[in-house]
Amino acid sequence: MRLIILLILIPLICWAEPATVIRATELKQDPASDSPTVAALAENAAVEAIERKGGWTRVKAGSAEGWVRMLALRYGAGAGAGAAKPGDTGITQLFSVARTGTSGTQVTTGVRGLDAQQLANAQPNPAEFAKLQEFASDRSAAAGFASNGALAAKQVEYPKP
Amino acid sequence: MRLLLLLAGLAAAASAQAQFRLPSIDVNRLVDTVKNVGKATREIDEPDEIAIGRDVASRLLGAAPLVADPGLQRYVNHVGRWLAAQAERPDLPWQFGVLEAPQLNAFAVPGGTIFITRGLLERMRNEAELAGVLAHEIVHVLRKHHLKAIQKGAQTSLAGDALSAALKDRAGAARDKLIAFGTEMYARGLDKSDELEADRLGVVIAARAGYDAYGLPSVLQTLQAMSAQDSAVALMFKTHPAPGERLDTLSEKMQQVLDAHSAQPQLGERFSSQTKRR
Repeated sequence: MRLIILLILIPLICWAEPATVIRATELKQDPASDSPTVAALAENAAVEAIERKGGWTRVKAGSAEGWVRMLALRYGAGAGAGAAKPGDTGITQLFSVARTGTSGTQVTTGVRGLDAQQLANAQPNPAEFAKLQEFASDRSAAAGFASNGALAAKQVEYPKP
Repeated sequence: MRLLLLLAGLAAAASAQAQFRLPSIDVNRLVDTVKNVGKATREIDEPDEIAIGRDVASRLLGAAPLVADPGLQRYVNHVGRWLAAQAERPDLPWQFGVLEAPQLNAFAVPGGTIFITRGLLERMRNEAELAGVLAHEIVHVLRKHHLKAIQKGAQTSLAGDALSAALKDRAGAARDKLIAFGTEMYARGLDKSDELEADRLGVVIAARAGYDAYGLPSVLQTLQAMSAQDSAVALMFKTHPAPGERLDTLSEKMQQVLDAHSAQPQLGERFSSQTKRR
């Protein structure tokens, strides 16, 4: 019994991420614009994001569940204004771990690394640069790698400026 | 006129103060004119761009070394090289590196060097997201965004004809200044319009390479969910438009391209197996 409760709770804990819709949006039954509308969501409506498929994200909105345009979502509680509120790193990390299946970033606050100060004081590192060159790929190796991943080159035009 | 310039040049050489005035002639202005003529004849060509980029890349590696994982580095190079092959400068000496740094960031260096931090890579879910970020950086190189900023900065904030001297003599003090300036630029950031252009064209390059075009927007959503107060993203937020604004712009300008290429591979499994800690 306890295991069943745990199994029910895990998806809720791991996959639901608080978000808001940035504009009035239709909640669709399937991830397509011609799919039936399940509910109408008002601007800034709070939802729980569950998964993404192409340009669509499956969300729970109250008792309703369906798909909204991925680009209409902003994450974090009260995310409509743009950035999430301060101090939510721990929460984000939890979701990150769940989504990636890897360990995620364990330490993010107050750590050393690439900051403005270090960029200003940086000295050349020829040994690392030699390694960088050694790891480089070439066009034919990259094409083979793409084909292994079933990636096919497409003709896509740049947008007009 | 040429004689006047010559006289002015001699006068300046004779007077280190350069405050010397001939009757009714501003010597300083003439000296500046001579210098500007010199600059105009020394454009940064592609070999210069590549050489500057190598020096800047070496500095960045002095700030943070590569992650000590040859398999990971080669993987990221394959993804990046495949993307670069889809655009207008396919034969630059493209090279890609994952930097050992917990911060979330990525850097495009003139001439074809792209860096991404371990911190950013660890927040990604699949290869399409990696491709989206690398394609954004590739656009900075294609459009010479950083190179132009370096050139502009060298002309306004470095002394006199430092740029031509820096291009001529790779071991000189002017070169050192130029490269230090070029490296610090990653702490100052580019124009907002350059970043938004890199987003739009980056989406196209990822789509051309056959990836789910939503890779870059997905990463922007991950970033948007993070706090601007978090030191892991502080520098990146300072040097880029807010992720929410970047998403708004993509939604406004690129929805069609995104949707036309949203069913392409994301390669989540290949990404996980190639990026897991060994």
